[in-house]
Amino acid sequence: MLKRSQWLDGARKLDWSYSYVREEDVFPEATSGRPWLSHAEWADWDEPYRTTFADYVSTQASKEAAVAAVRQAVGGIDDYRKLAASWMNALKLHAATLPLAEFAAVVGNLRAARFGRDSAWRNTATFGALDEIRHTQIPLLLMHELVRWEPQLDWTHRFYHSNNWVAIAARHLVDELLVAADPIELAIATNFVFETGFTNLQFVGLSALAHGVGDRMFETMVSSIQTDEARHSQIGAPVLAKVAKHDREYAQYLVDKWFWRSWHLFSIVTGFAMDYFTPLESRSRSFKEFVEEWVIGQYLQALERLGLKRPWYWDTFLESLEHYHHMVYVSAYTYRATVWFDFVVPSPRERAWLRSKYPRAWEKLAPVWRRIDDRWKEADPSNDFAVHGTAIIGFCDLCQLVLCEGSSDANSAKVALRDGKKFIFCSEPCRWIFEREPERYAGHKDVVKRVLAGEAPANLIALLKRYFGLDYETWGKDAFGGEYPWLTRGDVGETR
Amino acid sequence: MIPLYAFLRGDTLGLLVLAEESDTMDVLAAKVQIAASVRVPRSRRAVVVFDGRELSPTTTVAGAGITALDRVDVIGEGAP
Repeated sequence: MLKRSQWLDGARKLDWSYSYVREEDVFPEATSGRPWLSHAEWADWDEPYRTTFADYVSTQASKEAAVAAVRQAVGGIDDYRKLAASWMNALKLHAATLPLAEFAAVVGNLRAARFGRDSAWRNTATFGALDEIRHTQIPLLLMHELVRWEPQLDWTHRFYHSNNWVAIAARHLVDELLVAADPIELAIATNFVFETGFTNLQFVGLSALAHGVGDRMFETMVSSIQTDEARHSQIGAPVLAKVAKHDREYAQYLVDKWFWRSWHLFSIVTGFAMDYFTPLESRSRSFKEFVEEWVIGQYLQALERLGLKRPWYWDTFLESLEHYHHMVYVSAYTYRATVWFDFVVPSPRERAWLRSKYPRAWEKLAPVWRRIDDRWKEADPSNDFAVHGTAIIGFCDLCQLVLCEGSSDANSAKVALRDGKKFIFCSEPCRWIFEREPERYAGHKDVVKRVLAGEAPANLIALLKRYFGLDYETWGKDAFGGEYPWLTRGDVGETR
Repeated sequence: MIPLYAFLRGDTLGLLVLAEESDTMDVLAAKVQIAASVRVPRSRRAVVVFDGRELSPTTTVAGAGITALDRVDVIGEGAP
């Protein structure tokens, strides 16, 4: 019997010359991606894992057993009741935004499993598709158990099927990233940028914080998922290396585009969780510090190894790292009924911690939080709408998120005219991406344009109920009803 | 009604504010400040900046050449 090392390459590198069809017809550029190169150019494509199907099944079975064991031990409702109320919102945010995005990744990986340009790539993408099914099913199962206790967790499944404004933004990203992308763009965008640069923040960094919080189930779940990500993310670098060799400008464009688009998603999903929902005593580092290690350090080194440059908007990104998720968080706090999770007002100790980690941003944000304190001091406990915005919000025509880039004294949003229509962008990188591929983005309607077109109601409560799919039970509230031990009702104007 | 993207100095996000062509800049500034008041307290005096120019309080939206989906900035007294 042959040893594994003797047969594996024969199985995973199984390409042949076509005799009765042209290679261009087997792998059309529209579905395989560009630059279109003959297979001779891809023949040396390689990735380091070299997994066999038997190894894959055996390893995954062990991982499933480990997750099941932890679920049985600490995955029940009573275990979740013991966790900090603020942390539960990190879970709700993660559960809604990522598991069904992983299901979209099944589609992307299966396209690569057919149209990827080398058999070893197609082989790894097949395992990637199996991985992503697992990454969808595990959280769906775990959260489903908890819905009877916490109805907001029903958004684990509902989120991507809704017209909630965050879901519209997430679909805009996920559809392009995972459902519509050809295998080359998918490999660079998802496997290289998203999975090498960013998922470590959520699946390693936040997992470490979950350990501190005592959420063993979340820690185990995301760690188990990350071991799969680490394997199939290896598709990205060799594809990017090949594209960079033949069309460096396109390679750089894809890297720059997807870095920015991924950044906005993770700055909200992971930034909120790390800097606001993790209890202060469990915060080992700030979101910015995790980004500095995982993204700025490791990702830039990976780019350099491939001879690519850091994105042209790097200084804008560093400013965004200081301000963006804080700007979105406090804005969203004042529109919390529009989402499916609750918010907390940072305590004076948390504000001191945030000021120490983000000195420039916090200087500008502190007055906004003081204003929110004052509004709560004048309101009855749990009267959320006394501390809530009612005006319509503007959304970026590229990322579909709120216009929160720049800082509170210099919002960077810009209006641009194209074919007689006005578009607004939260930042220069969003405008740049839009203008590189306007045919891809110009037809999309953000929430504002849907309201103006009469497709969505302008009244806030009607919008929440009839369009976003929320109700009183599920829409976001202040997690403590505005009752904080450090907030004394009536002391309006007291500053901290 | 003319929908405008409005940014109040000191606020954290852009809002969509509905203005009338006949609204003066004083009226527009007040509308924007009310829309953002959950995050930023109202100032006694505020100015509107459009296209890099600070507009007179008595100028109207139509007179300033502001049209639908333009960006306007409002700067309250004492804003950063």
